[in-house]
Amino acid sequence: MSNGNMTLNLKIWRQVNAKTEGKFVDYKVDHVSEDMSFLEMIDVLNEQLVRKGDDAIAFDHDCREGICGMCSMMINGKAHGGFKGTTTCQVHMRLFKDGDTVVVEPWRSRAFPLIKDLTVDRSAFDTIQQAGGYITANTGNAQDANAILIPKPIADEAMDAAACIGCGACVASCPNGSGMLFMSAKVSQLALLPQGKAEAEKRVLEMVQTHDELGFGNCSNHAECEATCPKDISIEHIARTNREYIAAAIKHHEKDRSGGGA
Amino acid sequence: MSFNLDSKIPAGPIEQKWDKHKFDSKLINPSNKRKFTVIVVGTGLAGGSAAATLAELGYNVLSFCIQDSPRRAHSIAAQGGINAAKNYPNDGDSIKRLFYDTVKGGDYRSREANVYRLAQVSNNIIDQSVAQGVPFAREYGGYLDNRSFGGAQVSRTFYARGQTGQQLLLGAYSGMMKMVAKGKIKMFNRREMMDLVVVNGKARGIVCRNLLTGELESYAADAVILATGGYGNVFFLSTNAMASNVTAAWRCHKKGAGFANPCFTQIHPTCIPVHGDYQSKLTLMSESLRNDGRVWVPKKKGDTRKPAEIPDEERDYYLERVYPSFGNLAPRDVSSRQAKFRCDEGLGVGSTGRAVYLDFRDAIKRDGQAKIADKYGNLFEMYQKIVGANPYEEPMMIYPAVHYTMGGLWVDYNLQSTVPGLHVLGEANFSDHGANRLGASALMQGLADGYFVIPYTLGHYLGSNTLEKVTTDMPEFKASLKMVEEQTTKLLSVKGKKTADDFHKQLGHIMWEYVGMSRNEAGLKKAIAEIRKVREEFWKDVQVPGDAGNFNTELHKAARVADFLELGELMALDALERNESCGGHFREEFQTPDNEAKRDDENYAHSAVWEYTGPNSSPVRHKEELTFENVKLATRSYK
Amino acid sequence: MTTAVAHYFGSSIGRKQLIAVTGLALCGFLVSHLTGNFLLLMGADAFNLYAHKLASLGALLYLAELGLLVALLIHLGLALKITLENKAARPVKYLGKKNTGRGTTIMSASMPYTGLVLLAFIITHLMGIKYGSYYTTIVDGVEMRDVYRTTIEHFSSIGYTVWYSFAMICAAFHTAHGFSSAFQSLGLNHGRYFGKVKLLGILYAIFIGAGFASLAIWSHLKGV
Repeated sequence: MSNGNMTLNLKIWRQVNAKTEGKFVDYKVDHVSEDMSFLEMIDVLNEQLVRKGDDAIAFDHDCREGICGMCSMMINGKAHGGFKGTTTCQVHMRLFKDGDTVVVEPWRSRAFPLIKDLTVDRSAFDTIQQAGGYITANTGNAQDANAILIPKPIADEAMDAAACIGCGACVASCPNGSGMLFMSAKVSQLALLPQGKAEAEKRVLEMVQTHDELGFGNCSNHAECEATCPKDISIEHIARTNREYIAAAIKHHEKDRSGGGA
Repeated sequence: MSFNLDSKIPAGPIEQKWDKHKFDSKLINPSNKRKFTVIVVGTGLAGGSAAATLAELGYNVLSFCIQDSPRRAHSIAAQGGINAAKNYPNDGDSIKRLFYDTVKGGDYRSREANVYRLAQVSNNIIDQSVAQGVPFAREYGGYLDNRSFGGAQVSRTFYARGQTGQQLLLGAYSGMMKMVAKGKIKMFNRREMMDLVVVNGKARGIVCRNLLTGELESYAADAVILATGGYGNVFFLSTNAMASNVTAAWRCHKKGAGFANPCFTQIHPTCIPVHGDYQSKLTLMSESLRNDGRVWVPKKKGDTRKPAEIPDEERDYYLERVYPSFGNLAPRDVSSRQAKFRCDEGLGVGSTGRAVYLDFRDAIKRDGQAKIADKYGNLFEMYQKIVGANPYEEPMMIYPAVHYTMGGLWVDYNLQSTVPGLHVLGEANFSDHGANRLGASALMQGLADGYFVIPYTLGHYLGSNTLEKVTTDMPEFKASLKMVEEQTTKLLSVKGKKTADDFHKQLGHIMWEYVGMSRNEAGLKKAIAEIRKVREEFWKDVQVPGDAGNFNTELHKAARVADFLELGELMALDALERNESCGGHFREEFQTPDNEAKRDDENYAHSAVWEYTGPNSSPVRHKEELTFENVKLATRSYK
Repeated sequence: MTTAVAHYFGSSIGRKQLIAVTGLALCGFLVSHLTGNFLLLMGADAFNLYAHKLASLGALLYLAELGLLVALLIHLGLALKITLENKAARPVKYLGKKNTGRGTTIMSASMPYTGLVLLAFIITHLMGIKYGSYYTTIVDGVEMRDVYRTTIEHFSSIGYTVWYSFAMICAAFHTAHGFSSAFQSLGLNHGRYFGKVKLLGILYAIFIGAGFASLAIWSHLKGV
């Protein structure tokens, strides 16, 4: 039960709410153990602040095991610290050195308005899902699960896409603030599976439109999203979305013309 | 007041009860469904699936979630899998066998009829999830893959890599988002339920805190569904998420909902050990590791040699020694207790002495590193990330941790609590797992309740009751609002010297020490006395900075700790009153000569249901007798 | 225009696919341009004959030039628009944003800037050569423009040669990202093949950049 012996200098973004100006505040945390997680180190700092009667630093976190997608910090200019396949809550202090200065900022994106300190509002992701990130299979409709055969490679690839935790690191790290990796992970998962094909065209058209309307930037294929994604989601899913999109646009164009369209 | 603990189990043979019950239930015609509003609190597997399904049926659903999105509920963290009696592998599984295994696994403290229904609908869950696009693991032929889990003798577990909970939750979440888009679900994110509003004896609404603005909000409805998960965080350290808490359930308890078997907690044997007093949570390593890992401690006390330097004859592979037939695959409660016994004897390893080895040396020797990496690669990586040690080269260190709570609000066959109109789903209720839950059964229960049970039983409730119109202007709502406001003001005005977490940790230590893996009368009495002291100190010395008018995370924490401090006492009391050992509840006074749990079916084959009687009076213990007509009571043996 | 088409051209994906298609068309043009330029090495007559042949295509040439101009304008206009949108998508900047080194490259990050350099270059290049000094010469008894002389004369200036070479480095950077990026935009990224597309893009970029720049330096040395 030993306390550690590292000292860290933190530069953390503090902002009371969206209406006020924010600024970086310097903090020093002593006795940091290398076994601590990054969030536990912030907990220790917060306990110090609260004992003094100061406002604790607000940050989103929940499961602390890398799956809920709640934690969301730019650590030293990189989303989740930029370690491969790692969320902020899985970053441990042994990755830092005694005396390091660490800059902690919130996700910055027009589509993710700031709430307080390091907390941002990511409900834009829910809005994208609502635009078509589902298969319309009401409870009770389903046939026997083994009636739909899905080759293992397809199931595996769908699972790769479905692993997305919706943390928003893709948006935070994208030089353009694009939400394309998040959106395409869902489009791609459902386009790969036979169950998802019935709605595939409508889905991609509406999800892309919603993504664009929410204030996300445009994808220009930097692949920085893929590099910081804690679940290693590939930009191949963006490519699949691009294919699905143009195919759907062409088909709908034909439908519009023959059906007299809107 | 005496509780009505009528379980409303339908008559007839167990195989026909659910069908008969569905047929006997009242229906509501489609055009009338849209006149009803239902509140669903919680968006995990149970709450999410219920909200989506009820909205599909036409009800207006108000859905509340504590995180920033329903997709983040803690069901997402379940790794292993979900059971179903599909019998795809043709290895002898059936609804009856799944039913039997679950009742036995729960050490005969669950309700037969509920468990049988669970096993019946388990198959529909798999069908439904696949239809939604849940990418379960497949064989090369395209068929679903199954594995054996938690020592089960059949392969009935469906899985999606190590993220089954995530995929099932995202399935339910996608169903919800579909209904949000259709306007049938109204989402309220970052809301914490603070009170249940009861009007004319029926649950008719809730008061909740908008966590962002601090504002208290009231919502009225025709029925309330609670799906707010378990209360494992009463131990401070558990595998639960940080926001998992008992407040919603506890406030319902105070409004008249009976709390059943609160002492039934599951302590999972394979977690990463505690390493420091700053630690915020514990991480589970999937149970599947025990299929290939061997658990041991050194035979000599204080052996400081590196594990690799300790020869085989100086190692105690204690699970293999004590349980020759099940060995390392002994059930969760049994394995956990054995680890505790070894550490209590001073044989534990690691810097704290509260850990045992889980060694893959022999498996790697037998199968090669590649094969082991293929099976457990992601788990080994996760371990290395947290601990900084390589499990391919040195054994993992593991220790038991609080993982799941079988106890919860009492519900009848319709999932209705003792408060009419308040229905409780998933881990928040007590119904299906008895005194010990089997691996891969929690996901099954949550989704069974939400997709396939509540849509029928809620319709029956709404159809067979006259529900007068209520609005949030009514005095019952105002009174709830005032109660919560007063508590908030009180918390903010203490201005003490200790943080909410300080008290939570204190409580956690007491709970772990005396109400944890093994319990005894003296310890439980001590726990009750100490919890009372901590509670008293809490209200005198807690520091909650800031005010109630904004996003005040310390205030949120403090309100939750206040409820944990009350629940903790009830758990100790329940453990004290249950003079037997069963499943996760191990009383040292009641054990066989070789340290196994000794049940007392004569006197304790019942669920203990606690009634809240006010802040200054003792809770009252009621009983729901359990009858076993289809399963023969026997002693669990894993020797 | 049907609604589907309107949506397509207004959407982030539709626009980037247009940028991709026009970009690839311009890449194609660069190859043919560079191939023609290599004729400089064969001497004045060969080069002038080639230029003359092109010019005598008449309407066809104008059509091709118009096509190029349209492609360029679409490419440029949409790129400008999305760049401005992308800036607006992050109204508050990071204090010290760093890249992981596994995604964004200097090539991808500098696309708008290398693009603008290329725009400026295209203008100076057209003014200097296509609309530059007009000399005539007679090859095989036919009078034609002595564009060879214009070229050599033009590159005799060290300043222009340096500018040209710089622009070609920019072109290499721009296409090193743009080539494979266009495939990704059009959805042509299938796992293992994409590594090869990326490699092809880089080889292409080196070929274009080094090819044009080395001819510029050759012309400069020839002229002084």
